[in-house]
Amino acid sequence: MVEPHVASNLVVAVLVAGALFVARAVRKSDLWRGSLRELARRRPLALGVVAIYVLVALLDSVAWTGGGAVGAQGDQLALHEPRSVVDRLFPGDFGERSYSVPLASAEFYGGAALRHPGRHWLGTDILGRDILHLTLKGARIALLIGGFTSLIVIPLALLFGVSAGYFGGRVDDAVFFLISVLASIPGLLLLIVLVMVMGRGAVQVCIALGVTSWVGFCRVARGETLKLRELDYVQAARALGVSELRIILRHVVPNLLHLVVITFVLLFSGLVLSEAILAWLGIGIDGSWGQMIDQARDELSRDPIIWWNLAAASAALFGLILAVNFVGDAVRDVLDPRTLREDR
Amino acid sequence: MLAYLIRRLAYGVLTVQGVLLLLFVLFFLYATPTEMARRAVGEKAPPEVLEQWIVNHGYDRPRVWNPANPSDTLLADHFRRMLSFDFGRSDADDSPIVERLRQGVVPSLSVTLPLFVGGLAIGIALSLFVAYFRETYIDRAGVVLCVLGMSVSILLYIIGGQFLLGKLLRWFPISGFDPQPALVSRFLAIPWIIGLLSGLGGEVRFYRTVFVEETSRDYVRTARAKGCGDGRIMWRHVLRNAMIPILTHVVVAIPFLFTGSLLLESFFGIPGLGSITVDAIHGNDFSTLRVMVYIGALLFVLAQIVTDVSYTLVDPRVRLE
Amino acid sequence: MRGVRQRWLGRLILTLAVAFGLLGLGGCGNNPYPGADDSVKVRYGALPEAPKTLDPAVSYTTLEHAITANVYDTLLEYHYLKRPYELIPGLARELPEPREIPGGRIAYRFHLRPGVRFAEDPCFELGEPGAKTREVLAGDFAFELERIADPAVTSPVIATFAKIEGFREFSARLAALRDAEPGFAERRIDAQYAAAGGIEGVRVQGPHELEIVLAEPYPQLLYWFAMPFTAPVPWEAVALYDGREGRDFFKDHPVGAGPFRILHYERRSRIALERNPGWYGALHPEWKAPGAVYPSQGEPGDAEAGRLDPATVGLALPFLDRLELRIEKEDIPAFNKFLQGYYDASGIIQESFDKVVHEGALSPAMAALGMELEKSVEPSISYLGFNMNDPQVGAPAGERGRLLRQAMSLVVDSEEFARVFANGRGVPAHSPVPPGIFGYEAEYRNPWRQPDLARAKALLEEAGYPDGIDRDTGRPLRLSFDLGDPSSRARLRALFFVNAWKRLGLDVEIAATDYNQFRDKVRRGAYQIFQWGWIADYPDPENFLFLLWGPMSESKSGGPNTANFADSRYDALFLEMKDRPNDARRLELIREMRGILERERPWIELDHHESYALYHAWMRNVKPAGLSLPSAKYVDVDARARARLRKEWNRPVVWPAWALAAVVVALVVPGIATFLRERQ
Repeated sequence: MVEPHVASNLVVAVLVAGALFVARAVRKSDLWRGSLRELARRRPLALGVVAIYVLVALLDSVAWTGGGAVGAQGDQLALHEPRSVVDRLFPGDFGERSYSVPLASAEFYGGAALRHPGRHWLGTDILGRDILHLTLKGARIALLIGGFTSLIVIPLALLFGVSAGYFGGRVDDAVFFLISVLASIPGLLLLIVLVMVMGRGAVQVCIALGVTSWVGFCRVARGETLKLRELDYVQAARALGVSELRIILRHVVPNLLHLVVITFVLLFSGLVLSEAILAWLGIGIDGSWGQMIDQARDELSRDPIIWWNLAAASAALFGLILAVNFVGDAVRDVLDPRTLREDR
Repeated sequence: MLAYLIRRLAYGVLTVQGVLLLLFVLFFLYATPTEMARRAVGEKAPPEVLEQWIVNHGYDRPRVWNPANPSDTLLADHFRRMLSFDFGRSDADDSPIVERLRQGVVPSLSVTLPLFVGGLAIGIALSLFVAYFRETYIDRAGVVLCVLGMSVSILLYIIGGQFLLGKLLRWFPISGFDPQPALVSRFLAIPWIIGLLSGLGGEVRFYRTVFVEETSRDYVRTARAKGCGDGRIMWRHVLRNAMIPILTHVVVAIPFLFTGSLLLESFFGIPGLGSITVDAIHGNDFSTLRVMVYIGALLFVLAQIVTDVSYTLVDPRVRLE
Repeated sequence: MRGVRQRWLGRLILTLAVAFGLLGLGGCGNNPYPGADDSVKVRYGALPEAPKTLDPAVSYTTLEHAITANVYDTLLEYHYLKRPYELIPGLARELPEPREIPGGRIAYRFHLRPGVRFAEDPCFELGEPGAKTREVLAGDFAFELERIADPAVTSPVIATFAKIEGFREFSARLAALRDAEPGFAERRIDAQYAAAGGIEGVRVQGPHELEIVLAEPYPQLLYWFAMPFTAPVPWEAVALYDGREGRDFFKDHPVGAGPFRILHYERRSRIALERNPGWYGALHPEWKAPGAVYPSQGEPGDAEAGRLDPATVGLALPFLDRLELRIEKEDIPAFNKFLQGYYDASGIIQESFDKVVHEGALSPAMAALGMELEKSVEPSISYLGFNMNDPQVGAPAGERGRLLRQAMSLVVDSEEFARVFANGRGVPAHSPVPPGIFGYEAEYRNPWRQPDLARAKALLEEAGYPDGIDRDTGRPLRLSFDLGDPSSRARLRALFFVNAWKRLGLDVEIAATDYNQFRDKVRRGAYQIFQWGWIADYPDPENFLFLLWGPMSESKSGGPNTANFADSRYDALFLEMKDRPNDARRLELIREMRGILERERPWIELDHHESYALYHAWMRNVKPAGLSLPSAKYVDVDARARARLRKEWNRPVVWPAWALAAVVVALVVPGIATFLRERQ
């Protein structure tokens, strides 16, 4: 059995390698390079913010054991627990007994002195955990939800959509049937039941979110494929007897890539926001901002108010979604041929 | 046209069957009859009582295949009853499901219908407004506001709304529901406001895109050159031609008016169909849950057909085969 | 051109104005109740969820009993004020004494008061045309007991009443008759029971004489006769309210002989009870029945709290005219409504605790509002349990397992838990028996529940896990805490314990699932550590100690002994203890059982829940009870004071609305003006 943190390290390695590969491919293509430059020109701030979130998420995904200190009470857990780069930014055993205001030196209830006075920039939660630490760790979960789920959604939607559009006939009917069935069930219901059946791990929640979100893009892919199939050079290739698979991979899919990118970005924010609702229902992923918001939801009603937990998680969530939305708008403007037409 | 309708209806029926099957599979993967019994009878019940409940409610039969009598399985029964609209009684408390549906429709509609109509009216009005003042600071500010609005989780809208309007300003009750006409709007004010605000961002942006696309068309330029007033153009020409995408967007949302907003009803204690659904999920009430999903699916399929048909009415270029 | 734009602008402003106006007209103000109610004595309360059933043979939750106990009177009742809980006669004339009869059986004879009538209901037409009610007879109690035995009713307390002679045989005969004859189940319900011959141990000796015969001694039986399970139920109601042809179901349509009756029943939103004019206490005040007059005695503290006011003592009950209950699923809105005066009583949510309570007493702010605070320790226990069948933490691990459990028990600090999560409320538990129940000793301290990290580490090392490292793997010992509630709240609480065990070096993983899957895990035996609780059915130690009795174990019989604890000595002691009266020998037995639990540690006892209840100044005679008590009849309300205070506390704050409108106009108008100018 592979340890989860080792798997996570491998994934990061693969992602970085993949990113380098994509960067090289983009540099070679004029279209993509131009689009990227245009994008950076329009929304530099939003792109920067997204990049920061991605960086924090990557840092939190690289973890290894060892190098920790024996705990204050002599427990050796820290020596055997895998800790990520983000975890190591904070001293071991950084917890307090319970709540404390940001930058405080005493506890919120009772006024006893803190173990690390003034070091908790965003305060501590009910169990005394540092909120800045928790917020930073939430970035990884948010990107996991958005990114990993999109990675499930997009190939799935492409597979079914392109097949349906290209082959038509029975295949189209079957796919259309599948889409209709899934679309007819209220999304939230399907999500809840899926997560309850599959269990509450991060991967399972992502799969459930994926299953409930692929229908939209599938339809779009199908529609575009229908149009592409009628193009001259595709017709010619078919007449020449080129294998169907080759045609699809070389002519159809590359022409869908701009839609893929747009969909990816737009899907991302929707998915992350849905996770907050899942957290409220009790089926979210542990450590996510959604869960922090759910835990902190009652704190607003305290008297005096405890606001820092909710504020940190909400701000982090809002920041990411806002940035992604702005980037998404710009991406669509840059890549969508229709909007390009109306440019004055 | 008729042939098309019949084909679409037949197809819709097939889809609904698929939904029922999927529902059956998912639910019985997730809940066992023992758990349903425990939910219904109570925590402290001994196993013999749970067994009795299971027998009383017919869940002791085989699920899919019964060699003795192929039509006496839970699956067959499931299909038979749903297709004949024999909804039966809730597993949680034996109350007739049709009764519950009847009781829940009014509260749900009283939340979703005004929200839908109001949201549509205000959304279109605002987006027309913003599209009209295109490229000025109103437009840019509007778009930014929309994106800001869309980026906040609905959970925060609800928490914030309850806190601000109910607790700080004391304008409306924080939650609850009373169907008497004098009181109903007081209880629904916060859900309406929150529902409206949280959806407004996305709606206005969508409509704005549609309107902007329309106003860039040639015929608008022609009309303006001919001396037609801007307002008139927006109202009489642009709006009507933008109806197709708007229609698709709108009609597809209609089924969900009936099934109620799960979130709003839960947070605000409104006893509508959405809250029935959430209760059914948490209470392992399979018989109620399948009815809710079934009705949702039926309405959705119907809405699709209506959308397609209404295309012909709105756009003479579209012809159905 | 200009005119068109102006018209546009005009339309926009008009729409906004109308919208605002509608909102204002629609009723600004947060009062959720219609109309004035200061001349009628109404009590307003909130229930956290909808009651599932009001059928007295089935309903088993405190929530449902809050309604049924006030609608269904029983033969015996609990005294309202006295603690420890004492039984008083209700519909019976006096408390019955057990009588031994040949064959080792015990008989109890109840004498019912003559002249008690049911609440008026159309169902009595079935028995006698034109009748709106009738007298309560001994047969009605027998009928209810037969209902409990009826398999179709699925009553959860069959096991208890099976101690009555002939109980199970009646069930079997009834089921057999229904199977044999197809039309039998369609017969009127009382005819069915008569055909099955009734329960042998339930003997109707006359219209007002009822004898119950038990196959073996069970002194706690009398407590069950103070619960709605044994209330008299008219067969007419059960026969008529079968849900057909648009009629109600009996479980939604109670017909009892209590001080209140149902006025309005919308299960999921509003339930209203009104005074029952046909109640025996209203019809026959001259009886001065113990259950129909305000008590003259109580426990120390009642007089100071104003519950023994001479003006109230001896007065006829009930004082209230109506009870209005609303379903409030979320506790924060419910509490806020309480603060606004729309509910008369409330628990204190954790979030507002510090505003309400200062150092164990009411805060000055709350006291200024006239509120009162009532603390009461509920007869309940909350605990962490080990699955004693588990190879790592349970009995199969032998001495190692025991040392591990003891070590883990030594680091859980109940007081700290209470401080963080419950504002210090709750009595730390040292044994399963809570305060107020025989067998509880306030000075007893469980040596394994006093936090001692050093000792725990030593024990752990002795167990073969030095510093938490499992010698076999070289890594920290991995255990699983199986949580049946996936919510964030539950998780946070679980994390508290996990952090405590972390200090020992143990790696405890939280395996949270929803409740379904948790029960499934329990059934399969796939769980190690879990959290559970139990609230008393009746005030007897047997009702707590049976939770650790071998034959009740989950793996053997699906019983509530989820820890699967099975110690032969404990089991033997339990059998000896359970039927004894509360004497010195019983205490001795309980102490020995406690000693076994100390050593074996199948449970880590957490606390006995302490409820803090807040009451508004206009409430009188309130006393919280941990058992189902028909408390509504003792309570009183000063409706005028309430109306006055509500109005004072709830003036809407209107200025922000105008401010907002002004801001919107200020932002938009210049923009439009500039645009119009530019376009020209």
